[in-house]
Amino acid sequence: MTEQTASREWVGFSLRRVWIIAVNTLTESMRQKVYNILLLFALVVIASASFFSQFSFGEEAEQVASVQLKFIKDFGLGALSVFGMLIAIVGTAQLIPNEVENRTIYTILAKPVRRFEFLLGKYSGSVLLIFVSLVMMSMMFGAEMAFKQQKLVGEVLQEEQDAAARGGLVDHQEIQRNITSIRADALDPNLVKGVILIFVKLALLAAITLLASTFSTSMVFNVTVAFMVFFTGHLVGTAKELWEHSAFARYCLALIPDLGMFNVADDIILGNAIPWLHVAKVALYGFVYLATVVAASHFIFSDREI
Amino acid sequence: MDAIRTESLTKKYALGWRRGKLLALDRLTLHVHEGEVYGLLGPNGSGKSTTLKLILDLVAPTEGAVWVFDTPATKVASRLHIGFLPENPYFYRYLTGAETLEFYGQLCGLSGTAMQRRIDELLDLVGLEHARDRRLAGYSKGMLQRIGLAQALVHDPKLLLLDEPTAGVDPIGSKDIRDMILRLKEMGKTVLLSSHLLAQVQDVCDRIGVLNLGRMILEGEVDKLISDQRRLSITVQDLSEPGRAKVEEAVLSVGAKMVSVEHPQTTLEHLFLDAVGRDERGAGEHD
Repeated sequence: MTEQTASREWVGFSLRRVWIIAVNTLTESMRQKVYNILLLFALVVIASASFFSQFSFGEEAEQVASVQLKFIKDFGLGALSVFGMLIAIVGTAQLIPNEVENRTIYTILAKPVRRFEFLLGKYSGSVLLIFVSLVMMSMMFGAEMAFKQQKLVGEVLQEEQDAAARGGLVDHQEIQRNITSIRADALDPNLVKGVILIFVKLALLAAITLLASTFSTSMVFNVTVAFMVFFTGHLVGTAKELWEHSAFARYCLALIPDLGMFNVADDIILGNAIPWLHVAKVALYGFVYLATVVAASHFIFSDREI
Repeated sequence: MDAIRTESLTKKYALGWRRGKLLALDRLTLHVHEGEVYGLLGPNGSGKSTTLKLILDLVAPTEGAVWVFDTPATKVASRLHIGFLPENPYFYRYLTGAETLEFYGQLCGLSGTAMQRRIDELLDLVGLEHARDRRLAGYSKGMLQRIGLAQALVHDPKLLLLDEPTAGVDPIGSKDIRDMILRLKEMGKTVLLSSHLLAQVQDVCDRIGVLNLGRMILEGEVDKLISDQRRLSITVQDLSEPGRAKVEEAVLSVGAKMVSVEHPQTTLEHLFLDAVGRDERGAGEHD
């Protein structure tokens, strides 16, 4: 290969280099103690949902199964969102400050690597970390639902046997209906939609954290900004309703992402239908917002003196 | 063709709102020829690191421009032939030595068996085969410096930029790095190194430039700069007192002047390297 062809090969934007930086970022993050402890804690919390679900009382006997499953869904989706948020913020906030502090950014940018490739690689690594974490937490969540379903079905069958042993009347159709209802409740496809929207929300949160870290070298600042956006983002929907007549307020609120839109846990618990079209629309909103934030990060980072 | 060429390179850093600007580099014109080892010397804050950052386009010049093998430094292609070792590098603590080189190799387009071969070669070159599967969190400062040098060489660049390569490294590690620089020179590489450890630079550099407060105040070939053409030193062994008197008489008789007569001293560094070397050989014999 001549030098000229080598030059031509390297000048363009390369997705391969973005991928290499992303995988390196993921490996580095997953080997950190803080991440492993956080994930382990999240898994333990999700696994404990079944235990806490036993404390739902004051319900009609036939509704107990449904209430317990609703509790686990609510608890599980909440845990996924909260621990996912912590992993997204902590994982992203340290990326660029650490690179500068350890001077690794110099060694990467001293190679034929574009700044945008570096930034996109770092961000993609963070999104991969969120994805892997959510997959692991969802698997635990799924296992928890399957375990609870089996337990509840077992209890129904046990009651049937007890009733038969006592020589009482056994309504087989009622029992079958109960079992079908438990299974339908536990294997709710809406849960997948809920997890997908949590993923998009966290990817957006990671993009905002990245944006903060492109102009600040302080990790504390980045984490604070990300937390503020996370909490205000969940209040935007309510604020929009309150100030719907003020154009100024509407413009201001448009700058903060409406994170409440990604929350479908209430609909899942109430058993409302969540059409795929709705999921697609909310995800699209997230992607457009996310792309704009990454573009803004690039705009700042491309001129930053390192 | 120059490996590095700068013209009137000036860099001013903004110090913050209403605090003015700091002149870090003042109209530097530098030519580093292909195949030479050039030492950029100067006290802390003299502009050495800024010069390296400008060459790598990590910061933008306020005025002037830089070319690397005739390609403007602002183009990504200019970094095709550069290997860079930053000052006191830390790298990714959770990666092993081999994984670190693999990462940098992949970024430079290496893959498969060619990369594995290159990693083996480099670990051998910098003497870290024994630590290839150890995470960098457990590396000593000298080892980090060596893995840093290996990553700088991973894509076989023609030009190496070394920022304080021997800072914080013990005398043996420092000598190893200097030997490596000489080996790189033999391989035809161009090396630009920055340092404030003058004695070490003297051993490896062909030419030096001295920066102070951002300005180049002295430049030239090391041999010419440090040799005193008016003075001559002759070292003799086993000279008796009468013999010495005759030598002094002869010197005076031709109109020259005796400046000093003294026993030559070794440097503390040579003394240290000799002692440690002897001790290690002794330990080897005991084993």
